[in-house]
This record gives sequence, structure tokens and C-alpha cells, in this order.
Amino acid sequence: MKKKILSVLLAGAMTAGMLAGCGGSGSKGGEIKIWVADNVVDFTKEKAESFLASDDQYKGWTVTVEAVGEGDAAGNMITDVTAGADIYGFAQDQIARLVAAGALVEVEASNASKVESANAAGVVNAAKVGSKLYAYPMTADNGYFLYYDKSVISDPSTLEGIIADCEAAGKNFYMDFGGWYQTAFFFGTGCTLTYDTDDAGNFTACNMDYDSDKGLAALKAMVQLASSSSFQQGSSAGDAVNYAAIVDGTWDAGVIQETLGDNYACAKLPTFTVDGQTYQMSGFNGCKLLGVKPQESEDKLAVCDALADYLTSEEVQLARYNAVGWGPSNIAAQNSDAVKADPALSALAEQFAYTIPQGNYPGDYWSLAESLRDSVIGEYQGADDATLQAALKSFQDSCMSYAQ
Amino acid sequence: MANSESKAKKSPVGDFFRALGSDCREIGTTWAEGDGKTKLSFLIFGIGPILRGRALVGALHLALEILLIAFIAGFGWQYFSKLLTLGTVETNASGRVTTYGDNSFLILLFGLLTLCALAALIFVWRMNVRENRTEELLLKDGKKLPDNHTDFLSLFDSHFDVTLLALPVLGVFVFTVLPIIFMICVAFTNYDATHQAPSKLFTWVGLKNFRDLFSFGQDGFGSTFLTVLAWTLVWAFFATFLCYFLGIAVAMLINKKGIRFKKLWRTILVMTIAVPQFVSLLYVGKLFAPDGLINGTLLKWGLIRSALPFWTNPMWARITIIVVNIWIGIPYMMLIATGLLMNIPEDLYESARIDGATPWQMFRSITLPYMLFVTGPFLLTQFTGNLNNFNVIFLLNQGNPKSMGMVGGAGGTDLLVTWLYKMTINDTNYKMAAVIGIMVFIVTAVISLVVYQMLPSVKDEEGFQ
Amino acid sequence: MNEKTSSMKQKRLIGNILSYILLILISLIWLFPFVGLVLNSFRSYRPEVEYGGMVDYLVPKHFSLDNYRFLFSGDTNYLRWYGNTIIIAFFVAALQTFIVLCVSYALSRMRFAGRTFLMRFWLVLGMFPGFLTMICLYFLLKQMGLTQAGAIPGLILVSVASSGMGYYVCKGYFDTIPKALDEAARIDGASRARVFFTMTIPMSKPIIIYTALVAFMAPWCDYVFASYIAFGHDKSYNVAVAMQRWVWTGDYQGYFTRFCAGGVLVAIPITILFMLLQNYYVEGVTGGAVKG
Repeated sequence: MKKKILSVLLAGAMTAGMLAGCGGSGSKGGEIKIWVADNVVDFTKEKAESFLASDDQYKGWTVTVEAVGEGDAAGNMITDVTAGADIYGFAQDQIARLVAAGALVEVEASNASKVESANAAGVVNAAKVGSKLYAYPMTADNGYFLYYDKSVISDPSTLEGIIADCEAAGKNFYMDFGGWYQTAFFFGTGCTLTYDTDDAGNFTACNMDYDSDKGLAALKAMVQLASSSSFQQGSSAGDAVNYAAIVDGTWDAGVIQETLGDNYACAKLPTFTVDGQTYQMSGFNGCKLLGVKPQESEDKLAVCDALADYLTSEEVQLARYNAVGWGPSNIAAQNSDAVKADPALSALAEQFAYTIPQGNYPGDYWSLAESLRDSVIGEYQGADDATLQAALKSFQDSCMSYAQ
Repeated sequence: MANSESKAKKSPVGDFFRALGSDCREIGTTWAEGDGKTKLSFLIFGIGPILRGRALVGALHLALEILLIAFIAGFGWQYFSKLLTLGTVETNASGRVTTYGDNSFLILLFGLLTLCALAALIFVWRMNVRENRTEELLLKDGKKLPDNHTDFLSLFDSHFDVTLLALPVLGVFVFTVLPIIFMICVAFTNYDATHQAPSKLFTWVGLKNFRDLFSFGQDGFGSTFLTVLAWTLVWAFFATFLCYFLGIAVAMLINKKGIRFKKLWRTILVMTIAVPQFVSLLYVGKLFAPDGLINGTLLKWGLIRSALPFWTNPMWARITIIVVNIWIGIPYMMLIATGLLMNIPEDLYESARIDGATPWQMFRSITLPYMLFVTGPFLLTQFTGNLNNFNVIFLLNQGNPKSMGMVGGAGGTDLLVTWLYKMTINDTNYKMAAVIGIMVFIVTAVISLVVYQMLPSVKDEEGFQ
Repeated sequence: MNEKTSSMKQKRLIGNILSYILLILISLIWLFPFVGLVLNSFRSYRPEVEYGGMVDYLVPKHFSLDNYRFLFSGDTNYLRWYGNTIIIAFFVAALQTFIVLCVSYALSRMRFAGRTFLMRFWLVLGMFPGFLTMICLYFLLKQMGLTQAGAIPGLILVSVASSGMGYYVCKGYFDTIPKALDEAARIDGASRARVFFTMTIPMSKPIIIYTALVAFMAPWCDYVFASYIAFGHDKSYNVAVAMQRWVWTGDYQGYFTRFCAGGVLVAIPITILFMLLQNYYVEGVTGGAVKG
């Protein structure tokens, strides 16, 4: 008997669900959902609304802006594309994953040529998967460099000097060893790690030589750095404790400036020395992108295209720089006086000369790199060369296996 | 499958088929001996009771038939018919506009739901046939059928269980049973980040995921799975028994004669239960960080030269977690033990004391056996609960540190359940998450079954009343 | 003889002193994190005053209410999240208790076909890890429109729907109420429903309070599933979801002291409620432990 009642209710609930599922659409206009990081929510909302109000053809469209950071946005989009935002910001390392999951639509042809000519070449490359442009570059400041305390660090050009100063002063030196930051060492000693992708976002080949003497030198440098009592793993200035130097990006410039006050200074990354040989730290340079998800309605797609294009235009990039300090990817905006005078952005620009434009990496690479990070800090302390070499071999084999 | 089963335990399977056989016979008799009303009921449910004046019962059957058939035909069938392939129409983009194809996820979900609806339809039909038979037999005996009013009132008396249980059972079915069946099915598909509905299709792959879990070598899950499983068991063991004995010890300490402010001590300890764990554990996790308060203070006092690797070294992390868990676990056990300790007859201790027993001897021969006896089932549930103790692990250090020796993003303190969570959230690797989930179930079930048989205090349930 | 008692006394005294030292030590360890939490919550996050991130000292250099001011200002949705959590906790507590009572009564007092099967089946179901089905529940709720903006009723629905499985403690309690009472009332002509509502429920105050208390406290800690079905919709978050982002997400650096303040505000009412109803809790937990 209870089963009978159960089925009745179940059927009822499902029918109701079906009815709720249909309906809507038809009339022109609707809601466009945007996901951006919390500190640009108000900025984005204001810009998007004024854009839609500026032209009659966008009448009937409204925007909602929700605070979903770049990391969460990509994850959510992959979990459920249909419930995700129409336009969302993400870091470029996610692009292949998003394309493979069907969460990005190609940039519209007329916009694409505009985007390609207006933005720095490396950035445009980062927004491509295979040969197709899949996203609008929003910033070109996704790189890291050194922030330091002038009163503690006398010479920011060598890692050994920085560490010695920090240890002497009882201060911390923060550097992240995750997949994005550890390349500062590996690329610094001359290693390579890139993946080839096809147009659908699948990884077809991995070019990598970590399992080599160069790789070993880099890994030894990391183990050595981690053994310092001043070393702290991390790159969130806002959560860092008692630091005199931190490897971080422009997005934390404000926090660090407030903490260090008058002693605030920026520089390119230092050199490091392993077995008597000195290398300049390298790393990735990358950008933040704005993507549009695939749409079933042509009208909506057109509005989304226009809106995304506007939100990454020179005008808005400059305004965003002024509001929250994000470094523009637009060439004209980069050349404006305000941007050029920024100490953090100049240090970043100096560091960019030593870095490699970040291509596409499979999601597994990032989690594998975290494993390497934790191993370097923990179990590899005091390990011999053979162990480290074996670790590099297994790291490389795994990375290779992510490409089919 | 059915064959091997029937060999292993002959009687239950035999019973089942015997019951099925007698059921079929009964249906046959109902048809053969039935009148027109009954025969009509075979097609139109409940028409017999309606014609015999039991409109309520009949209408219920009829309504169920209509609803179920409407659901299956109008909604479920489109999914059910694709259940074997999980969809074949790919999503395509014509021009720049996307047209979504088959949604494998919904096909599997609603396909299973339709399957359940079909089962329910057969069940309702059977109930309806039986109802007719019962009524006919009653009438043949010259008895009167209960009227609608009596039927209705019985829902609050002799059939009160139906009223009480209808909603809870329905709720458990929709939000627990159906999802579990669904996820068990997912373990046999290739549903992961690259086969994500609605953009991509996923499909059945048989036992491949299970083979992957037990494949050893470079990227095989095998060794990682065994490491995580071993730590899960070690963790559950220590988390359960350390808290158990220390909790009893603290309870005895507070209960000790001559100790004052008993209520105060208890209240202080109970704070850890009252304050939400995501607040207290997140804070405690930060305390032990390499740049946290504890390391910072020790460094400042010059007691250590570099930070202690509470969370960065796998062995340290495991020990730290077990220790912090004591902080969480003692208060629960203290509360329980306090009440139980008072139940031990005082004269047992008195006579022991006269015999010259030391406190330790009294604990070992009186307190402990009593406690173990009464709290046996509790220890078991604690143990299985700890196997799945997500909060403590995840809030303290997210299962880190990760290691090059492990695949799938697993870390040194990951339990199976936190690993499952990471696979779901970080990697959207649902197929492997489902496989791990099944493994968790198997581990829990086996341990429960084995331990339960060994418990001294297990009595039959009625005996307690 | 006299010597013996005095040495006994002495021994007991030393024992008691040792016990007190131990108890004080334990209290310090147990209270330390909470003291730390409260102290941190009074450290200002504004850079001109102090630092909102982690620090390696305990007592703030300047006491300030900035964090609390922040929580009550319009700069964050904290109050809304708090309200959401109260709504969820309230409804879950009320409905869950009701369902648990119904199920427990049916299983304790009535004998019907499939009763043992139902109990075994639910026991087996409970052995599957809850996170396993998260993605499926998400899409189920989405079909009903109960994710994102509708996440709060969705959360309530899911918590309440599966609550029938948590009948053990309550059924154990009902089992201890003599059946003879029921029988006497039934002989007097009372229906099962009448017995349930007018006799069993009034006699079950401790277990009702225990069930409601446990149900009320659970939503305050739910940061996994709640975050999953809110799916980025900020307004549907509960406090746990919103505040764990302050600690774990790079977008919210330097929110640590604000997290502590938020945590204190969550902990205070829950702790008070818990302390008030502590005896019922102990009764429930002990009963459950012994019964299994």
C-alpha cells in the first residue's frame, strides 16, 4: 500500500518537474549570468549594465553578476554547463579542459580578428585551443615576480642572498611550489614542458625533458630552498605570515603594499645556484580570459558576444586596472602612462623577458605537480640524486601519459 | 550468476522460486474462479472493488495505474528506450548555435526511474489482483466487505504504519535509493570529465573501471588504492579506540571522589561538540600550519630551528590528525561513559577493595568488561563512522600532503571518502568516484558483518523490549 | 591506626592534587583554540590598524570590532547567509523530528509485512558514503528547480527526505516505553493514531529534543553539499559555505580574522542552545550508545 502512495507522489513530482522544465523563452530578451571574482563583481555589473543600456538592440536583456572565482567557475562549468554562467572569467590554464567539456564557444569571427590585433601576441595564443580562438583576453598579468621588504633584503637578485637575509632577520620567504610556480626552476635550468592540442581540446602530444640533468638541477634547487627555515610554501600574500619576501602576482600588490608600507619593493625573480652553476628563474606568463558558453539561442549568443567583447575592450581594461589593479592585455592599454608607471607591473614586465607563454596543460598535470610540491617539501628532504632522478622520471612518465 | 548463487545457498533462492510459483498459481486461480468484475480488474485496476462498493480502495488502484502508465508512456519511455546505449545523438554546433543531443545523464537517471515505475506497476497490478481475490472469498463466505468509511479509518489504526511510513519511504527512495542505484550504474560507464553530459555522451564500459582500480604500475590506481585503504583502516582503529579509552579515563577522572566543579570540567570539554566543526577544525588546522601559531611560537622561543612538518610530512600529518581527533572525540566518549560508569554497582568495587585490589586491577576486571559489554555496538558504529569521517580529515588538511607515489590526486591522509570527494569535485571523475564509493560500501559492510557476529551483547531485538 | 588513616588521607590528597593539575591542563588544551578564535576575531583586518591574515602571535596588538562591523555592514551577505542557515536549521529540525517520530513509532509498535526487510535495507543503504550520490542529487534537484536560487528548499528537502533512516535512537527509546500502556489505551477504544499523538509523543520529550537538537546543529556544518547545489549562487549560501571560501579561496586573502569573527557569531548561539539542552543530548547519546 505504501508503495502505491509512493508511486503516485513520485509521478506527480516528476510531472511537475517536467512542466517547470518547459515554458519560458520565446520573447526577446532575458537574463545573462556572469561569473567573476568577488572583487570585480560591482565593477563588472556596472560596466555590463551601462553597456546594455547604451544601445536599443539590447533592450530586454538584463545581467546578474555572481561572485564565483576563476578556480570555482571552471569547475562549476564542467560539472553542469547548462546551469553555469553565460559569460565567465577563468585562468588560461583551464581553457583546454573547458573546451573539451563543451563549456566554451568559439569567439565570433569578426570579434576574433579584432581581439587578435588588439591584444599582445602571447595572450592571444593563450586564448586559443588548436587554431581556434575560444576566449577573450581580459588581463596579461598572470605571472609572478618578487615582492620584498627593502629593509630586510639587501640584494634581491640572488635566491641565496634573499634566503640569507631572511634567515638572519627571522623572517619568512614565501614561494609556491605548485605546478604553476615550480616551472620557475625547471624552465630556469632550460627544461621544457608543453602539450599539443587539437581543435577539440584533446591533448595529442607532450614535449618534456624533466628527466635529465637540467631537471635534476632544478629539483635539487627546490629541495634545497625548502630546507631553509625561512621557506614557507604559499603564494597568498593576504594569508602569509611575517614575510620579508614573497613570490606572487600583481593581484596581491595592494595587500603587500599595505603590509610592507614604505619598505615595499618589487623585482624580477632572483637567480639560483645549484652545484656551482647559476640560473635565472623563469616561469609562466599567462592571462585571465573571459569565455562565453555555448548557447541554444542565436539572439542570446549575439548579446553575450558583444558583452564579452566590450568587457575586455581597451576602455574597460583600463578602467579595471584603475579600479582593482589588474594588468591589461590590450596593447594600447598596456602603453598608457598609468600602467607603465606601476612598480609591480614593471617588475612583471621585466620578469616576462625570462618566461614562457603558458600553453594548455591537462588538469591532471596540475594535480600531479601538487604531488611533486608536497613531496619536495616533505619526503624528498635529504634525498639522494638517484631518488630525485627516479622521481623526475615518474613525473615525466605521468605527464607523457596525459596526452593520447 | 543466479546458478552459482543457488548452489551456495540453496534454500533462500529455492524459497523465492517456490513463492513465485505459488503466486502464479494464485493469479491463475483468481482468473479461473473470478467473476466478470475480477476479470475486468486484470486490465482496469480496481474496477472490481469499485463495483463491489469499495470506491476508495478501487479508485486508489485505478489512479495508480493511470498515473504510472501516464508517467511511463508520456515521460519515462523516451529515456528508458535508450538505456542500453545511453544515447546516440551527439551534440552539434550548426553555425555558432549549439544544439544539445542526447543527455546520457538524464537517460540513465530517468531510465532507472522508469524501470522502477514499471516494477511498481507490476506490483500494483499484483496487489489489485489479490484484492479482488480476497473480496471474492469474503463474499463467498457470506461476510460483508468493509465500507469506505472503515477503510479510511483503518489508515489511522490497523494500517497506521502505512500512513506513518509512506512519506519517509518515498523520500528515502527518491533521494537515497535511486541515487545509489544510479551511482552504482555509473561505476560501469565512462562518465568523467571528458564525457560530460549534455555536451558529450557517455556509455557503458563494463568492468573496465574496476580493472583500473586494481591495476598496478605507473598510473594504475592499485597501489594508491591499497595505501589509502590501509590508512583508512589504521585511522579508524586509532580514532575509535584512542578516543574510547581516553574518554573513559577522563570520565573517571572527573567522576573521582573528592573532585569538585564536576559540571564545569564537563562543560569545558563539551565545547568541542557544541561549536560547529567547520569553525573549530579549520582554526586548529591553521594552528599547526608551517607558518601557523604553534610553529611560529616555537621558532620565536628558539625551541626549534625550522618549522615542524605537521601537515607537510605524511607520517607527521597522520599522527597530528589522530592527535587532534582525540581533542574532538574525548568529549563524546566522556559524556557517554559518565552515565554508564554510574550504572556499575558500587558494591562490586567495595568488595574488590576489601580483597585488596589496586585501582588498575579494578578497572581491568570490573569497569572495562562492563563498558565493553554495553558499548559494543556503539564501538562498531563509531568505527564505521570513522571510516567515513570526512570532516576531521578534510577540514584539518584536505587529505594532504600529496605524494608522487600516489595517483588520482590522493594525499597521505586521504581516507577513501575524502579521495572520493576530490574525484567528484576536483577531477569530475565520476566513474572512479563511483567505484571507490562501492569499495567503501564493501569495506563497511564486511567489517560490520564480521564484528557484529562477534559482539557479546548482540541479542535479538525483541529481547530488549 | 591513626598513622594509617593519615597516610591514606595524604595519598588521597596527592591524588586529588594530581587530578586537579591534569584537569586544568586538559581544560587549557580544550579551551585554547576557542580562546584563540575569539582573540583573532578582535584583530582588525584594516591594514592601517593591523593585519587580517594569519599571524604568529596570539593576542592582537589593538583590540578592534572591525571584523564584526564588516559582518554587519553591506559589504558582505553575511547576515543573509546567517538567515539562510537559521531557516534551513529550523525547518530541518522540525520536519526531521516529525518524520523520525513517525518512523520510529511504526517500527517500534507495529508489526507489518516487510518490517524487518525495511530495517535491514535502510541499514545497508547507510553503508554507502553520502558524497557518492552528490552529483545525482544535484541533477535531481535541478530537475525540480531546487538548485541555485532554489537551493534552500532543496537542501531542506534532501535533509528531510532521507531522515527516516535515522530512527535508531528514537526507536530504541520507544522500545523502552512499556507496550502495556498502548494496549490499555487500545482496549479503551483509542486508535493507533490517537495513542501515538496523545500518549507516545508527550512521553517522548527527551528524545524529541535530542533529535531536534542534532538536526538543528547539522546544517551549520554543511559546507559540501550546500555549496554544491547553490552552484555559485551567492544568495543561497549558508554560513558554512560562504565562510569556508574565506579560508580556502585565493579570492579572499586576509579574511582570516573575519572568518574568526563569523565563526564566533555562529558558535555563540549554537553553544548556548547546546549547553541548555545538554542533558537531553547526553540522554540521547547514551541511550543510543547502549542500544547500538
